Amino acid sequence: MGLMFPYTVVAAHHAVVPLGGRWSRPRPLVMVSATGPKNTFPMEGRLDTGSDDTVFPERLASIIGVDLSNAPVGHGRTASMALLIVRYAQITLRITDGVERREWPAWVGFTPAVHRPLLGFAGFLQFFTATFRGDREEVELTVNNFYPGT
Amino acid sequence: MNANSEQLGPPDLSHYAENRRKFPLDELAKHWGKHVAFSPDGTRIVASGSSLDEVLEQLQAAGIHFSQVVHAYIDPPDMSYI
Repeated sequence: MGLMFPYTVVAAHHAVVPLGGRWSRPRPLVMVSATGPKNTFPMEGRLDTGSDDTVFPERLASIIGVDLSNAPVGHGRTASMALLIVRYAQITLRITDGVERREWPAWVGFTPAVHRPLLGFAGFLQFFTATFRGDREEVELTVNNFYPGT
Repeated sequence: MNANSEQLGPPDLSHYAENRRKFPLDELAKHWGKHVAFSPDGTRIVASGSSLDEVLEQLQAAGIHFSQVVHAYIDPPDMSYI
């Protein structure tokens, strides 16, 4: 058994038609701690199988002591096709479901275009088998053979 | 908890997810579209602001180190991500 994360329910102002009229939306939010040379910053991130990279708000970099001045730069597009610049650095990520804890080094991107971490393939989902159970509104993460951490 | 820059050990987050899921939605409604900091056990919002920096300022004023809380962005209602 891996790490279990029940979805977080987010309230809606009106009935959500594509969900049969319920007044909320379930989202796969996971608490992730990002550690750099100076500090650790715990933050809720969203599991996103559609995201090629794992990206964090750019403000976080200076808080945890990551210098992005000479960082590798990439370009990305949001789901709405907006162009954004991403600067990459290697940090340490840690997650826990209260029972099991995992910690690993990861290359992640930093961009001012996000409010919360997007936990995408590179740096995050590449190291897990992720089972999204829509009926139970939960996701299970099990480390795979590529997992580089402890 | 303290607000200085020394690196502290990780807080006890073993009950965060469980309590965060049960956090009252009407209480969260006060923070729609804002950055917040939850207590490590997920039962309280200890800072809230329109930006991450605003939250950090509130935490510092309260003597709480930013590594000892869980930061989150509270989605505005009726916003679907596609």
